[in-house]
Amino acid sequence: MLQFILFSLGLSCVTGVFSLITSKAHAVSKVIACVGGMGSAILGFAGGASALFLPATYGSWAGPMPFTDFTLLLNPLAGLIIAVIAALAFVAWLYGFSYFDEYYDKGIGVIGFFMNLFIASMYLVVLSDNAFWFLVFFELMSLTSYVLVIIDQTEKSLRGGFLYLIMAHIGFLMIALSFFAMASATGSLEFEAYRTFSFVPEIATVAFVLAFLGFGAKAGMVPFHSWLPQAHPAAPSNVSALMSGGMIKIGIFGICKVCFDLLGVGGPEISWGILVIVIGAISSVLGVVYALGEHDLKSLLAYHSVENIGIILLGVGVGIYGVAADLPWLAGIGLLAGLYHLVNHAMFKGLLFLGAGSVLHSTGTRNMEELGGLARLMPWTAVCFLMGSLAISAIPPLNGFVSEWFTYQGLIGGAMDGDILMRIVFAFAVICLAITGALAVTCFVKAFGVTFLAKPRSAAAEDAKEVPAPMVISMVLLTVVCVLLGLGAAWFAPLMSSVASTMLASPEVFVTEGAVLVSTDTFSVVSPLVLFVLMAIIIATCVLVRNVANRKAGMKNDPKPWACGYDPDLTMETLASTVGANVRNFMDPLYAIRQGVNRAGQWIACFVSKVLAGGKEQSIAAETIDSPPVSRYDADRSAGIAPAREQAPALSYSMLDIVRSIGTWFGKMESGDFRTYIVYIVGALIFFLALIILVR
Amino acid sequence: MTIVVAVLQAILLVALAPLFSGITRKIRAKMHSRKGTGILQDYYDLAKLMRRSEVREGGSGLVSRLMPPIFLGCFILIAAGLPIVMLACPIPILGDMITILYLMALPRFMFALASIDSASSYTAIGGIRELLVGVLIEPSLILVLFVMAIAVGSTDVGFMSAAVANLQATPLVAVVVAGVAFAMACYIEMGKLPFDMAEAEQEIQEGPLAAYSGPSLAMLKLGVSLKQLVVASLLVCIFLPFGSASSLAPLDIFIGFVVYVAKVLAVFLIASVIENSVMRVRYKILDRYTWFVMGIASLSLVFLVIGI
Repeated sequence: MLQFILFSLGLSCVTGVFSLITSKAHAVSKVIACVGGMGSAILGFAGGASALFLPATYGSWAGPMPFTDFTLLLNPLAGLIIAVIAALAFVAWLYGFSYFDEYYDKGIGVIGFFMNLFIASMYLVVLSDNAFWFLVFFELMSLTSYVLVIIDQTEKSLRGGFLYLIMAHIGFLMIALSFFAMASATGSLEFEAYRTFSFVPEIATVAFVLAFLGFGAKAGMVPFHSWLPQAHPAAPSNVSALMSGGMIKIGIFGICKVCFDLLGVGGPEISWGILVIVIGAISSVLGVVYALGEHDLKSLLAYHSVENIGIILLGVGVGIYGVAADLPWLAGIGLLAGLYHLVNHAMFKGLLFLGAGSVLHSTGTRNMEELGGLARLMPWTAVCFLMGSLAISAIPPLNGFVSEWFTYQGLIGGAMDGDILMRIVFAFAVICLAITGALAVTCFVKAFGVTFLAKPRSAAAEDAKEVPAPMVISMVLLTVVCVLLGLGAAWFAPLMSSVASTMLASPEVFVTEGAVLVSTDTFSVVSPLVLFVLMAIIIATCVLVRNVANRKAGMKNDPKPWACGYDPDLTMETLASTVGANVRNFMDPLYAIRQGVNRAGQWIACFVSKVLAGGKEQSIAAETIDSPPVSRYDADRSAGIAPAREQAPALSYSMLDIVRSIGTWFGKMESGDFRTYIVYIVGALIFFLALIILVR
Repeated sequence: MTIVVAVLQAILLVALAPLFSGITRKIRAKMHSRKGTGILQDYYDLAKLMRRSEVREGGSGLVSRLMPPIFLGCFILIAAGLPIVMLACPIPILGDMITILYLMALPRFMFALASIDSASSYTAIGGIRELLVGVLIEPSLILVLFVMAIAVGSTDVGFMSAAVANLQATPLVAVVVAGVAFAMACYIEMGKLPFDMAEAEQEIQEGPLAAYSGPSLAMLKLGVSLKQLVVASLLVCIFLPFGSASSLAPLDIFIGFVVYVAKVLAVFLIASVIENSVMRVRYKILDRYTWFVMGIASLSLVFLVIGI
């Protein structure tokens, strides 16, 4: 219900302000922020979850100007996104009870204020039903998260944050242009006007492509992904969880909203579906390939968000194609798969980021090469991280498997009915998804194995202790949700199906029968619950047989692993770079793409900087930052074992370079102070709004 | 009734797995002009290992301990669901091709994790290579299954089996080419030369076995032979389902069992002959072979799309 969410918003704002006021008294400020945040999250969740079962509700308040009527719309899709964000926010605040202790001297009040505002702005973006307010809250969301990214004030986080700010605004600009295109056709900024207007196909296509690229930049799809692995890991881990799990989903929400809702009268076209599927397929493969090259645990997870956004886009793309080609089953199943994976990804990625945060909390490093052997020292974290790894690798019967199963059924079902072109597109997508699945397994074997298994490789890892109770509880909560979303898929999938059907305004697609998931057009069934029961019985029997045999024959311990007769030492253990080097052996062309893009980007950057600044060519080497670590959480630069090869994300340096040259151009105006940029943004916003009014 | 068939075929496969690896060893010995061990040697080995005490190595923990039962258990589960004696999946929820492929990912995941867990570099290299073989072969497998799914109109392996047996899978050329690609992919998955020698522990790809002993090793050895049998069965049940039971009459089921064993035996014989007439290649050029398989799989897609 809308009221709950409004209360939740109010509570967030009040909490944020109080947390800022009390920021001198660190502990008080933290407790206020966390307790208030959790309360607000519970209200938000109640409001969002109840909206899944209720018809759409409107709320409207007159704004100061005629085009700024404050209209809110709570429909099942908005409810779903809000419920997901609220659930993540709840665990993030719970986690913060202990995790924020490290941030006492870095302005805990500021974190409390901006994090509350960040969550509230995400709710408001999802609720807004007016282009003006949508853009305002979208901007607020970007700015508040930007502040949270740079909270550490290290050069690395500033750099990542700045890149994020630029990319967010490139996205913002494209979204604004998309709304502008729709506004110029309808003469209104109300979404309700777009919803009932029949756009000319060309305008609709332009609006969709702009919105897709803009929201895609926010979601972190390839080729707009470079900010994600730099910005997300820089934030405090629970904020990373909220950004990777929640915020990038707003991008997906936006794509769905524009395509099915705002442009709903004319309906999507087949080419849109192909665009979304192809970009999704490429994002999924490149995301996981680059993740494999990382040895920083949080960067690895951030790259995996690129991959999972790709998988969600595959589902959404199938949905768009299904609507365009008038195949109701396909539309329903595709959208269901996309939404299901959206929820799943929020849960397991949140879990994994919290797990990475716990490792960081206990050891002070995110560098996997220096960790190892944590499973024995931090058993709770290890088990939760393992479950998250299994879920994200789509291992049955966990939740990742369920949504990927639906995605596969959608892709294959679409190919059955499709023409030659669509068959090739779907075959490409299926292959990409298969490669992604296999690489994700490899990647999470690496992430979990190198971090938690074998023996500790540094003093920090040797002295690691299990994290405090609030952090453990929040991880366990998410683990339980992941398991339930997998085993209870037969009860959760119809809910997703009903959200999809209200979005498409079509009858609900039939997906379950008892505890069994059904894919009617491909004549296939699966049941995670039954699979789990069968697996449990068979594996338990095997364990029993083996243990009885062990008891009869006895067990011995040999502390040293076999090393061909040599004395084993810690350098013999498997490192992240070992896996990376092996993958590189076969996947080198894909890394070469990144280097190629990088080089092309540098060239363009040099060109731009010449034009803009008339300045000298800058050499853009991979900068290694050697400033002393500011916080314990940022002390991972002193890598004990050199990584195989420093890999810089594509485009990042070129982007930085453009940024740098723009900075030179603006001269004194650029102070590295985020307030300056807010001025630009507000300026841009006013400019476009003025333009809209003038055109009208 | 179908549940009984499922349980029976799972038991049959577990019981036969050591026999098939014994036969493979015998053939190798013969082709090497050696006398070789008896074909029942694998059963003796397993029985002996079950009586031996177990040594836990290095810093290994729960993951290493859980891996052998999970490895064996997953393949037993897959074995129970395949349409090997009848032309439909005895347990329909296990018959989806995506479910089968992802169920095979769990043992691989645990296998590689356990290899890292033992803190020995030899085992870990083996585990990672095992994963990468999976990465390289997965696209071909899925593409072939994609072609088959479209050819028969279902992602259920039982439907594919029935359609191929009744010669209803069209277009025919695409299905035949897909069968060839699938056979090659299965051959690589079975861990045979020139890619691997599954039964030799000193081989790097099976390196993780080096960290195990006693009953756990017995369970893993059984699991590895069962994996080979399951992969061969997958080929047999999708592309060579001829002779499987079309009804649940006991006689049909019995004939289905006998014919199945004969077919799998033929597959193993052919695989052994190929294995023993090629050389070991370097692991690093494995992708050239998988690209070749991928090429054939793509060809079947092309035939499917143009409809011949």
